[in-house]
Parts: sequence; C-alpha cells; structure tokens
Amino acid sequence: MIVPYGHVLLLAGILFVLGLVCAVARRNLVMVLLGVEIMLNAAGIAFVGAALRWQQLEGQVFVLFIMTIAAAEVSVGLALIVRAYRRTGSIDQNTYDLLKW
Amino acid sequence: MNWGLFIPELYYLAVCGILLLLSMVVKPNPRRDLVSVLFFAALGVAVCLASVRLEGTLFAAAYRVDLFSQVFKVILAVGFLLVVSLCTELNGIDEGHHLEFYLLLTTCTVAMMLLVSSVELLTIYVALELSSYSLYLLVPLRRGHDAAVEAGIKYLLVGTSASAVMLFGFACLYGVIHTTQVAEIVRVLPGMLGQPVATIGLLLAFCGFFFKLAVFPFHFWAPGVYQGAANQVTAFIATASKVAAIAILMRIVALSGGGDAYLVKVLVTLSIASMTLGNLVAIRQKDMKRLLAYSTVAHAGYVLIGLLSFSPSGYASTIFYAFAYLVMKFTCFLVLVKVAADGSDLQIAQLAGLHRRSPLLAMALMVGVFGLAGIPPTVGFAGKFLLFTAAIEKGHLALVFIAMINVVISLYYYLLVVKAAYLLEPDEDRPRIRLSAPITLLLWVLVTVIVAAGIFPAYLLEVADAAARALLGL
Repeated sequence: MIVPYGHVLLLAGILFVLGLVCAVARRNLVMVLLGVEIMLNAAGIAFVGAALRWQQLEGQVFVLFIMTIAAAEVSVGLALIVRAYRRTGSIDQNTYDLLKW
Repeated sequence: MNWGLFIPELYYLAVCGILLLLSMVVKPNPRRDLVSVLFFAALGVAVCLASVRLEGTLFAAAYRVDLFSQVFKVILAVGFLLVVSLCTELNGIDEGHHLEFYLLLTTCTVAMMLLVSSVELLTIYVALELSSYSLYLLVPLRRGHDAAVEAGIKYLLVGTSASAVMLFGFACLYGVIHTTQVAEIVRVLPGMLGQPVATIGLLLAFCGFFFKLAVFPFHFWAPGVYQGAANQVTAFIATASKVAAIAILMRIVALSGGGDAYLVKVLVTLSIASMTLGNLVAIRQKDMKRLLAYSTVAHAGYVLIGLLSFSPSGYASTIFYAFAYLVMKFTCFLVLVKVAADGSDLQIAQLAGLHRRSPLLAMALMVGVFGLAGIPPTVGFAGKFLLFTAAIEKGHLALVFIAMINVVISLYYYLLVVKAAYLLEPDEDRPRIRLSAPITLLLWVLVTVIVAAGIFPAYLLEVADAAARALLGL
C-alpha cells in the first residue's frame, strides 16, 4: 500500500468535518443536502482505504452501495426541496419555522 | 441457498411490486385500495406466523433468521395490519396518492423486517436506509399542510446526516477491526477500545440507532415529525418503526455479550436523560401527537433499562415491552384518528366530552393511556415490572428508583388526557362519533389484549423468553 492507512483516514476525517460544518452552518437547503453528500463520500473514502488496508473486497462493495443510496438521497431530497419551494417560494431554512422543535 | 427462509420478506416484496403496478395502472378508488391492502396485510401476518419456526443464515452469513427475528417479523406484520386498518378515513392524504401511501408503508415494513434479521454492517445500513427513505416520503404526503412539507424536509436532512455519521462510524470500525460481521466486531472490539479510532467509530455508529429510537439527545426530530405527518403515518412511525429500532439495538447490544462497564455507563446515562427529559417536556404539550412523541422519548429510556441489564431476563422483558408498547401506543392512535376524522391535528382540549360522544373510544383511550403510564392491571404495568426486576437483579437500584419517579411524573400528563376525555365539558356541542362494526370490534380486541395480557402475561412472556434465548444462541 503506497499511501499509509492513517493518511487516508485523516483525509476522510477532514472531508467528513467539512461536510458536517456545511450541513450544520449553511442556511440554504440545497447546500445542506450537499454537505450530507460530502459526509457520505468521506465515509466512502474511509471504506476504500480500509479495504486496501485489509486487502478485502467488502469495503469496495460497501462504497458501491453508498453511492446508490446517496443517489436515492439526492433524488428524494431535491424532490422535497422543489415541492417546498413551490409552496413557499424560498429554499432558506429560516423560512421554515412552523414547527417548534 | 435456502430461499424458504426468506418467505416473509419475499411476500412483502411481491406486495410492493403489485402496489407499484396498481399505482401506475389503475384509477384511484380508496375503498378498493383499502380492502385489497387489508387483505394483503392480513395474509402477511399469516405468512409471518407460518414461518416463525424457521432458522438459518442467508447471503454469506450476512442475514440471520432465528426465533428472535421471526417473532419481531410477526410483531411488525401485526403493526402494519393495524396501521392499514386505521386508513378507513384516510383524509389526511390526497385520494390520488392512496396507493403510493400503501406502497411506501409496505416498503418500510419490508425494510424493517430485513433490519431485524441483519447481522452485518452492510445489510443493516441498506435496511435502515430503505425504511428511512420510505418514511421521509410518507411524512410530506399529507394534503394541504405546509407543516408536513417542512417536517418532511427537516426529517430528511436530520435523518440523512445521522445516517452519514453512523456510516462514518462503520467505516472507522471496519478500518480497525477487519470485518463487517457484527458478531465478529463485538467480539474483537472490547480489546480495541484503547484505540481512539475504534471508540470514535463505536460512538458514531450508535448515533444512528439512537436517532431511530429517538433517544435523548437524538430525539429532537420526533415532535415536529409526529405533528407534521398525517395521523396514520405518525401511528406507523410511533409503533412499527420504534419496534424495529428496539430489535436492531437489542441484536447489537446482545452480541456484545457480558456488557463492558463503559458501555453500561453510556446506556444508563442515556436512559435516565431520555426518560426524564421526555416526561418533563411532555407535561406542557397541548397537541396530542406531540405529547405522544415525548412519551415515545420517555419509553425509549425505559426500553434501554432492559437492554443494559445484559441478561436473558432483561432481553425477554424488552421483547415483551416492545409488544406491549406497540399495542398500547396503537390504541391511543386509533382513538386519535377516529376523533380527528377529518385528518387534522388533535389538541388535548378537543378531547373534552369524549365519554359522551363515544363511550367506547373514551374507554379505549383510558386503557391505552393507563397502559403507557404503567397502571395495573394493564400490560404496561407487567412490562415495566419485568424491566425493573431485570435491572434490579443486576444491581441497578438507583436507575430503577429514578425510573419509578419518572413513572409518577408521567402519570400526571397521562391523567390530564383522561381528565380531558372524561371530566371536561366541551365549549360547543360536538356530534357523536360513529364507529363502524370492524373498528368497534378492533377496539374491544385491543382493550381485551391490554388488560388480559396484563393479568396473564405468562404466555407472552414464554414467547419473549424463547426469542431472547434464540437471540443469545442458548
């Protein structure tokens, strides 16, 4: 293995934190969705790194499944955002405050 | 490979296919749709009951069929049937979308059945996501409600973030432990907890499950989603999906064997925080669905008590409680759906005078709510009693003491509901509520089950005990 596992994990960790910050801090719904995507891909990188470390295929297969599910996530998420935009005319999180949490 | 083991899942998958085809081909007809789905759901319960005795593994040992998973599949099938039987007045959802609504309910049921049999990270992840995405779509299906769309979006964003966090935890675990089999992971993990990556991975992975079960501090989505979703969807989320979450958490906790002291401490803290916060916040709720949401948070805390006992009796009482919880919660939702027949949100004040509008509904609500509060002779009392005994056997005296204080706190807001139904006079005269014969029968059956299973819990407990033994491989 040319790149040590620790470095791959570090890269994945940084990417994950970037995604998390994007998902938590941005107010635009599309950007939040994008942040979640980045988090999923960070997990994918960590899986590929681990698969390479153990010389196994499980990690690689896992990534294929993550990609498929991420595609489903985007389609469901964007569909919901479009529906919300049609109803309220905004994709800013702050306009969605009907429900107390 | 023995496909016979997979029959319940295949059956529900076939139902999904039929519903998908129907939703694309035929014109909507609520009555016909309801009757056909009811038929499929009833047949599904029979299929699950018939396959209760199956045992074996599938898909390179990624999927285990044993008495534990089969008992939970029966409970889930019953939950699905009950929720479908609520849909006689599906006014919360546009008529053209009824078939899609049933389709998504069925995919969610299949996913939860897959979940209770999963013993590998990949199957757990795929099953969890399939069930979540069905729910993300079910919530905003509600007709003409801005709150529903908002609840759907928030549920989706928070839910996918939680599962991304969980997935990263899985990746960390796989990176240290060399396998994706849960049994193997929990066998190796205790020796690895010194490594930061393993600890972080474990904590992140648990986040996802706690999110599903709405344990504090991952409960904040529950009240909004419960309030925003159509009443029937809320009933499904509050009953069937909680049962599946309990099952998968139990499977993972049980695989970890004796229970390492650190994990026990984490579970004790979460349990106390969950029930205390759930009960205290529930007191000031005005909306019935929000009240039930916070009572769910509190019940997640009670369920954790059974899990952290790490003993066969603890697991058996948790399985017993999962069934009891399903029946009691469902009874409350049945009343809620019937009183708010137009599909609107029900305020507790609107329950006023219920005993005159429909004595049977008021009685069922009282029995259901007393069950949730744990008053004898209901099944809720028997369940709580078993949970607390199991915890005391393991020496968690302080925890049980706090739990009992919590039961008393919860009694207050449950009694408020009963008071509204029986003692308060309504501001205006509301018409009597007419119940069809099948619903009347269903109400009587539920009330009988709650009381009878509370007085004679032996048979149910035997089944739960056998399932717990299968879970532990005894």
